[in-house]
Amino acid sequence: MNIVDIVYNPWFSGIVGLLLIGIVFVCAILAVWLERKFGADIQSRIGPNRVGGRYGILQGVADAIKLFTKEDLIPAKADRLLFVLAPIIVLGSGFMMIVAIPFGAIVIGDNVYPIAATQMDISVIYLEAVSALSVLGIFMAAYGSNNKYSMIAAFRNMARMIGYEVPLGVCIIGVAVMAQSLDIVVIAKAQSPLWFVFLQPIGFVVFFISILADMGRLPFDQNEAEEELVAGWGTEYSGLRWGLGLFGEYIHMVLGACLMVLLYLGGWNLPRFITDIFVLGSLMPIFWFVGKVTIIVFIIIMIRWALPRYRIDQVVNLGWKVLFPLSILNLIWAVALSLAFDMIFGA
Amino acid sequence: MPMDIAGIGELIMFAVVSILTIVFSICVVAAKDIVRAALSLVVTLVSVAGIYVLLNAQFIGLVQILVYVGGIGVLILFAVMLTTQELKGGSDVE
Repeated sequence: MNIVDIVYNPWFSGIVGLLLIGIVFVCAILAVWLERKFGADIQSRIGPNRVGGRYGILQGVADAIKLFTKEDLIPAKADRLLFVLAPIIVLGSGFMMIVAIPFGAIVIGDNVYPIAATQMDISVIYLEAVSALSVLGIFMAAYGSNNKYSMIAAFRNMARMIGYEVPLGVCIIGVAVMAQSLDIVVIAKAQSPLWFVFLQPIGFVVFFISILADMGRLPFDQNEAEEELVAGWGTEYSGLRWGLGLFGEYIHMVLGACLMVLLYLGGWNLPRFITDIFVLGSLMPIFWFVGKVTIIVFIIIMIRWALPRYRIDQVVNLGWKVLFPLSILNLIWAVALSLAFDMIFGA
Repeated sequence: MPMDIAGIGELIMFAVVSILTIVFSICVVAAKDIVRAALSLVVTLVSVAGIYVLLNAQFIGLVQILVYVGGIGVLILFAVMLTTQELKGGSDVE
């Protein structure tokens, strides 16, 4: 049996997809731990230090057990159907994103086998489309739980999402123009000598800010501003349902970091002299990719603990009046640059 | 007529997606709660995207989700919530 037959077998890719979901879940638990421990370091606190040794590594597991064993509470006047479905949709949108993201690749000679559950021609559009589904889940949670704080949070979330999906999409179009494909694997491969962050610096900055807002990370977490809105859309949730929503957000964070690495920071690409050695070629691209994703996650967490929160009107203004024009500028720049490349190096 | 497994799978998927489309479009007009009607409309639009994908028009299907669910669906929900005077719990009779 040829290796290509194995890679493109639907059963094989199904198993790969399930494994990736498990791995991303573990990564999200690690991200929660990292956020606590690293955030504590930044603020000169100690942070979790009891469960699992000095560094509290098992704190995430302890939290998960606590969430599992809590009482499952549904408010009396809640819309039960929407209340129950909402966290599933938030988490499901994250899982649907996992399907199309390649988490590194195995490079053997000239062949590149991305580690992804599916290969689509239009995976970037797919990713943006399914990531937009999570806002519906948050709205359903807020309306279903019949709570004014949740409702305000959902409004803020929707206003922010509408404002930041647009620059995000335009930035992705800029990248796609330069790579001449909407397939995220081709986009990652197209950055082999030069990362897109150097070719489109404006695009990278706009994409970074928009995806921070998209993930609802500080300074853009107006939808769960603790001081004003109790716990945002999750105010009425407890136990496992709240845990599902929380994990949905952290999975979005990890996947957003993956997207950033794949679209702008060169993906898994390494120079040929490294990947030509068989063992290094099959292992190093994955480590390289995961390493970059880890650094991005660190930066996102650092931003959270270093910056204050914006007001919602400031956030919406920033999205429509600054980031959107900048992303259009970046698109023009990307088209001009690719045309210039074509003129210089020939089609 | 003998059918291969892919054909049967496609037929089942088409049946599921079209039943979802019909049921939820009835829900849009029949639902008492206006927010549930809006959410049913969103599910209808997603199912229509599923039909596009089954017709081998993946790009249109995904743009349908991106534009109609991510954009227009959210705007409709926004508008609906701005029109309602109070949350459901205010006048809810148990």
